[in-house]
Amino acid sequence: MASITLKNINKIYPGGFRAVNNVNLEIKDKEFVVLVGPSGCGKSTTLRMIAGLEDVTQGELYIGDKMVNFTPPKDRDIAMVFQSYALYPDKTVYKNMAFGLERHKVPKDEIKRRVDEAAKILGIEHLLDRKPKALSGGQRQRVALGRAIVRDPKVFLLDEPLSNLDAKLRTAMRTEIAKLHKRLDTTFVYVTHDQTEAMTMGDRIVVMKDGVVQQADTPHELYINPCNMFVAGFIGSPQMNFVDAVMKRKEGSYYLETQNGTVKLPDSRVNENVSAYEGKKIKIGVRPEDVSDEPGKENVLTGTVEVSEQLGSEVYLYISSPDGRITARVSPDTTAKTGSIIKYTFNMNKIHLFDPQTQEAVR
Amino acid sequence: MTEKSEKIKDIIRICILTAAALLFVAPVLIVLMNSFKEKLFITSEPFKLPSADTFAGLRNFTEGLRKTGFISAFGWSLFITVGSVAVIVLFCSMTAWYITRVKSRFTSFLYYAFVFSMIVPFQMVMFTMTKTANALSLDNPLGIILIYLGFGSGLSVFMFCGFIKSIPLEIEEAAMIDGCGPVRTFFSVVFPILKPTAITVAILNAMWIWNDYLLPYLVIGSDYKTVPIAIQYLRGGYGSVDMGAMMAMLVLAIIPIVVFYLSCQKYIIKGVAAGAVKG
Repeated sequence: MASITLKNINKIYPGGFRAVNNVNLEIKDKEFVVLVGPSGCGKSTTLRMIAGLEDVTQGELYIGDKMVNFTPPKDRDIAMVFQSYALYPDKTVYKNMAFGLERHKVPKDEIKRRVDEAAKILGIEHLLDRKPKALSGGQRQRVALGRAIVRDPKVFLLDEPLSNLDAKLRTAMRTEIAKLHKRLDTTFVYVTHDQTEAMTMGDRIVVMKDGVVQQADTPHELYINPCNMFVAGFIGSPQMNFVDAVMKRKEGSYYLETQNGTVKLPDSRVNENVSAYEGKKIKIGVRPEDVSDEPGKENVLTGTVEVSEQLGSEVYLYISSPDGRITARVSPDTTAKTGSIIKYTFNMNKIHLFDPQTQEAVR
Repeated sequence: MTEKSEKIKDIIRICILTAAALLFVAPVLIVLMNSFKEKLFITSEPFKLPSADTFAGLRNFTEGLRKTGFISAFGWSLFITVGSVAVIVLFCSMTAWYITRVKSRFTSFLYYAFVFSMIVPFQMVMFTMTKTANALSLDNPLGIILIYLGFGSGLSVFMFCGFIKSIPLEIEEAAMIDGCGPVRTFFSVVFPILKPTAITVAILNAMWIWNDYLLPYLVIGSDYKTVPIAIQYLRGGYGSVDMGAMMAMLVLAIIPIVVFYLSCQKYIIKGVAAGAVKG
């Protein structure tokens, strides 16, 4: 068991491309941390540096108390599950799982005990004699996990391990991996570009963009308190609506004037930072579930329903308005139909405010 | 109508291919047939099956074995072929792995040098090569293995490179995490995956090295006769040839390579196609 510490980590490729930019991160022992971000954000590079598959250009990387910048992968006591599973095609499932232990000179009966135990946990006991090509995607995924489990490593590294599975199997394996973390009680670092995966699995999520950590926090905190527009837009599905506004003050209250109308900012939301934007442009961020199609008398806005998506338990309304396209997640009992003009309102207690220039949250 | 014309086309195609196949097999069959005939009848009735009058039994074989020193020639051919093929497969696969995985101008240059070597005809280099071989004391069965490595490496490296490109790098990274260094990664993980290509490379090289006449003749001459050289010695002075013994020895010379080819042929297509399409 071990913690992982990244101190001012940089990865600069020959030619000058900076894939990871000054990352500082403390991953606690037994924590499940998910690195998430769009393609090219540096999440896989960060994971590969922890694994020792990429050199660290600058900075210090610790696993436990030991600095491992120059330690080869085999001496880091880690196990990694790859996106393509990376099973040895000529070896049976048993041999695939036993290979790492054989290299570490573990006695044969101990290898057998560990492989059998891991196979039992993953439900692949009947596949031990098969070769990878005779396995389905889900089975291969389990074998790849099994190969990591038998090593009993300090740290598990998982690089988009579910991205090659179909949606149903992905959901099932998500739960399996979360359960596995509880059972093994060791440090997991998981890379994905799928924010749903990140939200459902991680104790903590690290959102990255252009090689920079944007925010590292619990899923709940990330959702309710995103630190900037990128995190706010990346976390949550459908993504947050952003509306341009100008903050005005009238009779002691603050109002947000948009192209589509004016909405009143609750007094509870006003503080020194917010009031500093009086007379200035500001961005409003609203989650789709905070857009209501049953408005009261205040803060009513109008738009046309472009598309209405029925999902059974809820309906997504894509509303065309002078503020741009607004997505609303509403009850399935809604009367709004495609093409109809509707009135809607924002839940002003739950809106987010951002600086249009820096894109940082205004709190 | 279309189905009928397709069938006719199929029949024509099969007929042409059968005729072509027969043309290829005919020389081997004629040699086999004549190896059991009395030598006088080989030249006068080369295409006739042996009859009671012309059948020689195994006399041609015993005669050939006695005259040529075939057993020792067979031994040297086997030693040179097996040695060369083993060395080619081992070194070329390692070279191809290095060239494919380490990206630099040097490896790129190496790759093109190997590809270029495929198009240089043997006759162009044979005299300078013979001189060099003599100067470097490579004019012996061990030395010739090194020369075969040089001549066989172009195509072999090219084929291995094509296949290695299709192996996901992640497999090798997984091996590194599992505790392997580069040497162990190659022998425990990469080389077993290369098996189809290695067998194809082995077959292609074994066939030409076993049958090669000119290179061993120029380099090691008659000191260590290989099978093709030994058979050539059946051509006596003034154009006299012991055709019976020669046919019999040709049959014996063909057998090992045909058996090797047939036992490994299923890998040939696999090996040639490997690397062509990313799986």
